[in-house]
Amino acid sequence: MGRWLLARLGRAALAAWGIASLVFLVSRLLPAGPEQLVLGEAGELAYPTTAAQRLASNQAIRQRLGLAEPVFYATRSPGPAGHWHWHGCHNQYHQWVSQLLRGNLGQSYASGQPVATLLGQALACSVPLAGSAAVLATALAVGLALYVARAPQGRLRALVQGSLAFLQVMPLFLLALALLLLLANPDVVNILPASRQGESASGLASLVYWAARATLPILSLVLSALPALTLPLAASLRHELGTAYATTARAKGLPIGRVLRQHLLPNALLPLFTTLTELLPTLVAGTVVVEVVFALPGSGRLLAEAAATHDYPVVVAGVLLIAGVRLLGLVLADILYFLVDPRLSPSA
Amino acid sequence: MKLARRTPYHANYWLATSWLVLLLVVGLLAPWLLLPYPAATPDLLHMATPPSPLHYLGTDPLGRDVLAGLVAGAQRLVLLSLPAVGLATLVGAIAGSAAGFWGNKQLRLPLASAGWLLAAGWWLATLPARAAVVSILLVISILFSWLSSRQAVGSSRRTFPLPLDSLVLGATALLGAVPRLILLVALAAGPPLSFVQLLSLLALVAWPETARLVRAQMLRVRVQPFMEAARASGLPAWHIWLHHALPHACLPLFSFAPLTLAGLVGLENTLAFLGIGQAPDQVSWGSMLTTVRQDPNAWWVVAAPGLALLCTLLALQHLAQALNKRFNAG
Amino acid sequence: MRYYWLGSLLASLTSACSTASPERVQETTPIHIRWANDPVALDPLAIPNQNASDAASLLHLGLLQVDYQANVYAPALAERLPGVQLIGDSLMRLDYQLRPAATWDDGRPVLATDVDFTLKLIQCPGLPYEVARTQFSFIRQLLPDPTNPRHFTLVCRGQGRELINTSGDFPILPENALDAQHTLRPLPLAMLQGWHPDKAPPAVVAALVSRYKQANSARYPSHLPGCGPYRLAEWVHNRHLLFQRKAHWWADDLRPAPFVLQARAQLLDYIIMPDDAAAVLALRRRELDVFPRMPASLFQRLQTSAAARKELAFYTNPSYDLISVGFNTRRALLNNKLTRQALGRLLDPAGLLTATQLGQGSLTVGLVPPDSQFYNDSLPALAYDPTQTLALLHQAGWQKQSNGSWYHSIIAQPLALTLRYRSDESAFATIALQFQAAAAKLGIPVKVLPLEASALTVALKAGDFDMYIRTIKGTPFGFNFSPLLHTNAIGMDNFTGFGRPATDQLLEDISIEGNLPRKRRLLRHFQVLIREEMPLVPLFYLANRLSASRQLRPIIASGLKPGYASGALSWASGSANVAIP
Repeated sequence: MGRWLLARLGRAALAAWGIASLVFLVSRLLPAGPEQLVLGEAGELAYPTTAAQRLASNQAIRQRLGLAEPVFYATRSPGPAGHWHWHGCHNQYHQWVSQLLRGNLGQSYASGQPVATLLGQALACSVPLAGSAAVLATALAVGLALYVARAPQGRLRALVQGSLAFLQVMPLFLLALALLLLLANPDVVNILPASRQGESASGLASLVYWAARATLPILSLVLSALPALTLPLAASLRHELGTAYATTARAKGLPIGRVLRQHLLPNALLPLFTTLTELLPTLVAGTVVVEVVFALPGSGRLLAEAAATHDYPVVVAGVLLIAGVRLLGLVLADILYFLVDPRLSPSA
Repeated sequence: MKLARRTPYHANYWLATSWLVLLLVVGLLAPWLLLPYPAATPDLLHMATPPSPLHYLGTDPLGRDVLAGLVAGAQRLVLLSLPAVGLATLVGAIAGSAAGFWGNKQLRLPLASAGWLLAAGWWLATLPARAAVVSILLVISILFSWLSSRQAVGSSRRTFPLPLDSLVLGATALLGAVPRLILLVALAAGPPLSFVQLLSLLALVAWPETARLVRAQMLRVRVQPFMEAARASGLPAWHIWLHHALPHACLPLFSFAPLTLAGLVGLENTLAFLGIGQAPDQVSWGSMLTTVRQDPNAWWVVAAPGLALLCTLLALQHLAQALNKRFNAG
Repeated sequence: MRYYWLGSLLASLTSACSTASPERVQETTPIHIRWANDPVALDPLAIPNQNASDAASLLHLGLLQVDYQANVYAPALAERLPGVQLIGDSLMRLDYQLRPAATWDDGRPVLATDVDFTLKLIQCPGLPYEVARTQFSFIRQLLPDPTNPRHFTLVCRGQGRELINTSGDFPILPENALDAQHTLRPLPLAMLQGWHPDKAPPAVVAALVSRYKQANSARYPSHLPGCGPYRLAEWVHNRHLLFQRKAHWWADDLRPAPFVLQARAQLLDYIIMPDDAAAVLALRRRELDVFPRMPASLFQRLQTSAAARKELAFYTNPSYDLISVGFNTRRALLNNKLTRQALGRLLDPAGLLTATQLGQGSLTVGLVPPDSQFYNDSLPALAYDPTQTLALLHQAGWQKQSNGSWYHSIIAQPLALTLRYRSDESAFATIALQFQAAAAKLGIPVKVLPLEASALTVALKAGDFDMYIRTIKGTPFGFNFSPLLHTNAIGMDNFTGFGRPATDQLLEDISIEGNLPRKRRLLRHFQVLIREEMPLVPLFYLANRLSASRQLRPIIASGLKPGYASGALSWASGSANVAIP
């Protein structure tokens, strides 16, 4: 188990490093010079200077940001008949990797702040959002699956199944947009509290305020994640209901609800673990959409904005973080599998 | 199970198919449809107007006609997402089935081919001293193949195994390390992408799923009795792969391809909605939907493209279900 | 079924919120102002964007500040505008006197040594002040007055109104707080200015730089005490910045209080909301009180809503921001002025003004605002005229091919263009689409390429475009178009690459001309010349639209950024106890 887990971890870590390297190299090879970001709008506010001065200040900024060095160990000079040059360890990629190993994610081009700080602030918004969505979605999924498995054929069950199938194809951005336009619009229905009391208040009041602000984003995330969790669980519950031991249990006179909850659910939960590992990336991608739609300052929006402004240290760090989180999810699911059913030896 | 095969398609199936056929026709005939307004031209006198006899479905906050935008979105779907799915399915099927068929050790290449590959790579990457190095490599590999062909036939020729399975699994793991949307956002941000670039990027993020599915199916097909028979008859391996294994391994793709298409359509419209890598003259449903954020009361901007997108995705889902019942029930 | 629970939960939440007691504003209630993005860094000497500039003006004061009531530079730390003494034709001396009342928070007076220190700090090699360094390098020396520590003279290279304004437009930093040992005092300013970037800086400078960097004042502005009226109480990145009024600020005792030294609001809370529509919803929900630079369509929709009119006041001012379309005159395609004139007539300024600004704003014939005394009113306005475009194209030597495209036998290229603009401006998208459609009708293919702001600047500087759309940010403080159109500015802000000896001379003359009638003549001639050469097409001046809560005192709105006088914001006195239903 341990060795297998280690190998799996290693492979996943390799994939995470690979994808981050890919994004790093692709981003550095794009034409836009990040030093322009530092000058930013200031050029428009400032009194103009001569070309030579401007060039010198650009060069100084490149030097300060460590962009004056070549991108990779070997680079090719531009032109159709370009030659290859070997740069040794003095290149941006080497610097990035060695800083990364020391736990330094670099600095944002746009703000000059450490990327770790920026990510930390953004995660403080996104983690509660995605976390509460995950918990709510899982709980709702188990409840709904139990209902669908035992409910008689009828209109209500068809409605639930129909809406789940509908939600499954509904793109998250459309769902979030619909919720925003219908439920947070003063001209239609506005369920968001109109107040300036919230943020200045403390304790419980601010919690209520936050919950109210986060209701719609969480609702969109939950609704979008729900079908993928519920449908397989309901299917496997129904499958278990047909098995011999379930029939035995029911023949002994146990009510169907208890059979489902106590006997079948633990067995049917196994596939749920796999779905849960898939839930994590879904939610991460979902936060990008939801935070853009609802204008929340979280990590998803940070990533989207950084990508649009070519703030590559932030983009690369974000990709690395997401890959890492997914990796963790995979390993966690494996361990859970093993704990729940030791027969499923991972070596098999 | 045989009964299921004979059951007629559900009414939903016909509804779904007719919607998709309608989309296909509209998308293909878009340049010849007589629309009152072109898709990307703003009507400066009617910005964000509700549906009226002038603009049947209204205009968006950029002044573009919503009806024309609907047609342009269908065209984009047919010309961008459909080829992307085709490409992804092709690449995924070939890579996945080859990986499942040959595994890590079965595909052995003659050692001499390594020299050829190295020479070709050296030439293409224009590494230093390419004329000299490439000619030396070529001479060595020609000598080597001549030598090995002179050796007694039947004695083991020098070969090396190509770890095909690991390569394909590694690539899928690499691309699967982050969600597809995140990968697209990270790679597609910046200047608007050309049509071909966007198409290949979409295919790039879509092929691993297909490859994994086909590989799993191929592992099952490999051990079927008819495969044993084919091998026993002495057919070359690639022939068995192409004519006997591949058709069976690709069977699940009939129902999976519509789902891939649905996934890509959703992804492509999400990108357009986020405004990443898009110019405003490339009108799609997602880029029309995003303009509602400039004017939250323009319900007509959401209604038509949103409905079209939903109908398409629902239709694809139903199609996949029906095809799944037909092909994989047995 | 679960949705019932969710629904009822939401409903109960809503009712709980709607039955909450009606809110009251007090003097200490923060005034919430909308910002579209985070100021990112608050180092007053390295300002990355307009928001940071607004924030810096709350924390720090310069010698001169903009008076948003009269739209002129007015003395702030300086007691009066500087006395100007021209020396020869390229030097001047500016004579400044600091206000005796001006003090730092610790009670020390603001002195000439502080100004001297700030100027030297800007020039210290190793600090990220590349932009400011070049901007203020025209100030060569500060001559202190040995008899009066509040009196000094700036020796400046160059002359002109703009330089006089700029000479007072930087924040003064406290020498004592940053350099208690006065280590910079012995170093001459000119020596720091001429320091070669590869040479190691003097030891005292290196020590100061490392101390200064340690403080990281871009992120922690409290490490850099200013003499402005506010201090930064809270900064949650990408969410809000809360500024608190100092309890005792030196300018409180000034009688009469100058307008630029007013600061009425106790708490200013800048809320960061990138999405315009979300910000409008927040304004309606009273999470925002001031929404400057509102897009025209949202503004109009609010104005037509009776409920919104009850709560909000609306202000519209002409601004100095001009939307213009420029040509890359270095391209062979666009080298000929006839081609540029032809393409210029494919734009529909009047239609675009109606469509994107709902008619608010003003059409213009040149780079001078129509309400200015220098405006050339005898020039006819440019209008959409495809027939004239055809005539001009033929005149320029373009031939229509049988396949519908245009070909020039000398240039040996078909007429096809790329058009670049900022992707976050929806008005630009409409302009681009209008031009593209008009050109397509004549068989000219136009590729539109929206770019993120920073990437656009790179592309424009590299000359990687045929046409661009951008906002030219103007000021009422003088007309200096050299940065836009002078030969010397090619490679910097002169993206068009335009430059003729005649226009260069004219631009130089305009910038130094002090005589009003002569200046008027020169500027009118300049507008005719630009219309003739057409390196860029000025479309229209924008209006600055601002909406604010009625609970506030009437806003002093201005066409200048940020669009309002933040110092004059305050709650209406009568509303302290008025409950808002």
